[in-house]
Amino acid sequence: MAKEAGEERLLEGYRVLDLTDEKGVYCTKLLADLGADVVIVEPSSGSRGRHRGPFFHDEPHVEKSLYFLYFNTSKRSITLNLEHPDGQAIFKRLAKTADVVVETFPVGYMKTLGLDYDALSGINPKLVMTSITPFGQTGPYKDYKGSDLVAMAMGGYMQITGDPEKYPVRLGNEHSHYPTSQYAALGILGALYYRDITSGRGQYIDMSLFEPIIPYHLEQHQAAMWKFQRQNPIRVGLHSYIGIPLGVYPCKDGWAAALTTTDKEWDGLAQWIYEVTGEKAVLDEELKGVWGEGRRKRRDEVIAYIMRLSSSMTKQEFFHQAQKRDMGFEPVNTPEDILNDPHLAASGFWVELDHPVVGKLRYPRQGPFCGEDIPEIEKAAPLLGEHNKEIYCGELGFTKNDLVVLRSGGII
Amino acid sequence: MAKGVLEGVRVIELGPLIALPLTGRILAALGAEVIKVESNRVPDVMNYLPGWGMGSGRPEYDALKRKITLDVAHPEALPVMHKLFAKSDAFVTNFREHILKRWGIGFPEVRATNPEIIIMWQTGVGGDGPYAGYKFFGYPSQHACGISLMTGYPEDEVTAAETSYSDYHTALFQLMALVAALLRRKRTGKPSTIETSIWKAGLVTVGPDMLDFQANKRLPTRMGNRDPYASPHNIYPCKGEDRWCAISVFTEKEWEALCDVLGNPPWTKDSKFSTLLDRKRNEDELDDLIGKWTISYEAEEVMERMQKAGVPAGVVAKGQDLYESPQLRARDFYQETEYYIPDFFKPGIEWETAPQTTIIGRVPIGFSETPAKVGRYGRVGEDNEYVYREILEMSEEEVKRLTEVGAIR
Repeated sequence: MAKEAGEERLLEGYRVLDLTDEKGVYCTKLLADLGADVVIVEPSSGSRGRHRGPFFHDEPHVEKSLYFLYFNTSKRSITLNLEHPDGQAIFKRLAKTADVVVETFPVGYMKTLGLDYDALSGINPKLVMTSITPFGQTGPYKDYKGSDLVAMAMGGYMQITGDPEKYPVRLGNEHSHYPTSQYAALGILGALYYRDITSGRGQYIDMSLFEPIIPYHLEQHQAAMWKFQRQNPIRVGLHSYIGIPLGVYPCKDGWAAALTTTDKEWDGLAQWIYEVTGEKAVLDEELKGVWGEGRRKRRDEVIAYIMRLSSSMTKQEFFHQAQKRDMGFEPVNTPEDILNDPHLAASGFWVELDHPVVGKLRYPRQGPFCGEDIPEIEKAAPLLGEHNKEIYCGELGFTKNDLVVLRSGGII
Repeated sequence: MAKGVLEGVRVIELGPLIALPLTGRILAALGAEVIKVESNRVPDVMNYLPGWGMGSGRPEYDALKRKITLDVAHPEALPVMHKLFAKSDAFVTNFREHILKRWGIGFPEVRATNPEIIIMWQTGVGGDGPYAGYKFFGYPSQHACGISLMTGYPEDEVTAAETSYSDYHTALFQLMALVAALLRRKRTGKPSTIETSIWKAGLVTVGPDMLDFQANKRLPTRMGNRDPYASPHNIYPCKGEDRWCAISVFTEKEWEALCDVLGNPPWTKDSKFSTLLDRKRNEDELDDLIGKWTISYEAEEVMERMQKAGVPAGVVAKGQDLYESPQLRARDFYQETEYYIPDFFKPGIEWETAPQTTIIGRVPIGFSETPAKVGRYGRVGEDNEYVYREILEMSEEEVKRLTEVGAIR
């Protein structure tokens, strides 16, 4: 585990017990990739993520879920039956050694196991425990069932995604699991800081899947717009109403996004359109200015000018030429484009991790951090129960024969 | 008043737009003292976005901060910046390297002034590599991250969300990394310099698809609101204009409960729908049949009936639904606060003196001991006196002089 430079890792020395499904699995990945010792506590059949696609070579298998592999880098795995009283007793011993427990069971389930915060903090007052549920531990919807689709719908994100003439859509990456996991990880780190600096005690953190979605489309501020202006936001399709231009434009071989954020950037874009298309009207004084009231009035015309420019080149040409002119245009990428991107490769975004069953794959390195102090991701996702011996025998003092008994008794 | 988790941490924030100010706003809500350095000479463009001045934006990004005016481009501002660094735990900025250097506040200079300060640098694409210095922004990065090609309607090529996708991911990464760096500094005595990237913060949210392409050469497809592993899983039209309710069924029990809510019409017994695979194969027809039922009800009623029976369901919410949500109200999510409107025609220079009222959201972390704080959005420069006189212990004459030469403005 600990290597020489171990102390350098941001979260070295913190232990997290991971009882999460898809709602919180990214939270514990973030903590693990930052250097915490995250131990996934799985039922003997494996956590839910091991059973969902996509699978390596499309072969369903507990060690081949690409979903599980992505979200469980840097973690360790033990098996434990939390519904068995002996399993609960073992979990309590583990909780004594832990700084953090993260769980995503329905409201009240941990209490039925005798493993709720009150019980665990009695054993370990320094413990920080976080629960992630669809709607939180309180309120009239606390027992409502959730899903990514339901959370994205109720969190207001779908209302602003898609085409005004069509139906609202969710994002294609099960987006709702990211905001709650990120806020939960922040809350956990904050609670650890407060514990270590000020109080010496842990605390409980109630997270919902639903609420953190709202500040992920914060500039719309839908509730305030309703309260003060009786307006609901609309879906806008490919061209934003926040700025003009701010949208997606067709190129010879795909699409690219374009926007301007200063007067200078608009002037540069107008000049570029003029150079390529010979269109003089684009230089009109009326169209100038940072947020371009004039462009707003002549929206369709402005969009048409940019389309003439964009469709005269490839998306890479459009992207690079714009950036050379100091405008923040970006290509619309597929995962294939991303995997082949020269910048990401050169700036060390990828790390190749070897997994005993699926072999080598490239994973995004260090999350988005590139500071000198951020530990690299070093370990692919663990095999089911891979660390049983290490933790049960090495730490809790069980013998090899004890493990045989526990296994036969359906406890690990 | 209960303390915040970051009580005693002082942060200097310098930079415009969304991800960077949001980072400071959340730090402040968690108890840190965040000093926002800005100038009336070049106010943040976000103050002038249509709609934002009307309370629908800026307080969410700047509430609770200590707001000072200091024109960092002014030569006389330089020593003041370094005094701030000397008295702070962290410096967060999103300016590009050459600009910080020009102002004399490149990271080596900042570190020389305060060897223990944590530096959080937000970039577009990272400091190294072929695209170094390129501008990447949160909104278009939803496209460069691959989200827009896997979102939306099967018949289209690309679909957009009207929001600054990666800004929010970047802000949260910055926050996590900053608190982790505080923990590490406490443990080891060593500060960190941490770089985040708007593009990379978004890219890590399509991870499984990157593995899928490597392993199976498969590119993601647009499935509307369907799910590859569940059915029915969609939004269904309800009474009223553009009203919808999401329903997602993952288990056999939920499917049976859904049929019960619908009154078990004969089609629910049709063998076309009896197993998950059958439902996937006949999904268009299934969605039509469910939609013919939901259209007779209000979206709220569909949600309540489904949830009562144990089926995951939820209204596709708009502003009104969020504002009136009984769940958000029960959890005190929106809170009233004061803010000031900038004068659109005299950018930043003349701010209205009377506060307006708006609502802002609670930072959605439910701490049992240290609740996240909610507070007002001050005027630009409101905390000059406190910061310059009390924290930096500058004399009244010095502050006056710097104001006259235009460094403080």
